[in-house]
Amino acid sequence: MARFNRRRKFCRFSAEGADVIDYKDLEMLKQYISETGKITPSRITGTKAKYQRQLSNAIKRARYLALLPYTDSHE
Amino acid sequence: MRHYEIVFMVHPDQSDQVSGMIERYSATITEGGGKVHRLEDWGRRHLAYPINKIHKAHYVLMNVECGQDILQELKTTFRYNDAVLRSVVFGCKEAVTEESYIAKADKSERSERRERSAPYTEKSAPVETQDKDINSDAADSSAVISAEPEENKFQENDEKIKPIPDESAVEVADISPEEESK
Repeated sequence: MARFNRRRKFCRFSAEGADVIDYKDLEMLKQYISETGKITPSRITGTKAKYQRQLSNAIKRARYLALLPYTDSHE
Repeated sequence: MRHYEIVFMVHPDQSDQVSGMIERYSATITEGGGKVHRLEDWGRRHLAYPINKIHKAHYVLMNVECGQDILQELKTTFRYNDAVLRSVVFGCKEAVTEESYIAKADKSERSERRERSAPYTEKSAPVETQDKDINSDAADSSAVISAEPEENKFQENDEKIKPIPDESAVEVADISPEEESK
């Protein structure tokens, strides 16, 4: 029964018809990492596989450039 | 000739050299028959994690069209330049000229700050309290204390102070509660 109450997940990127996911769009990327800095799996966010791949690459690029943290226990 | 996106991070102590570095690199690209499509100086940004015990870095973004030999040259200069902390080159499918998200976010932040700092001397009470929150917690609390026991006086003061900049207003607020306590 709980299944009916749950809000349906949807992929934001395919809904918007996004072209490419930019690693510089930090506000958007921050919505797809957990508090500890991990990438949120697509089974939780509902992101389509095509965009989840782009998303993970974008987050990894942003991490390398120190725009996003790898973890919350830096320093 | 291919499209590339280059980002490099410069040591914050060497950030005054950045303008010279940008000039040099764009000169090498244009001399090699390439083009610089987008050039953004993000300035000194706080790093998400320290690199070599450094917490800040000066970022520069370049979207470039050039040959492979020139790209290789740029890469080696980044590598042997001690001021460059990190650099990346991404391949692009086409020339990107529009403003990047980070530059946009920086601009909107700056304009917000201006909006916050500007209307401090204006009348409306809720706006004023918000501003005090941002300026300093100590000044805010003292102002609240002085306002509560003698509201009328405070309002009179406020009217007189209006044309004078915010610092003096804060000072007045600071002095009054101390005198009361004595």
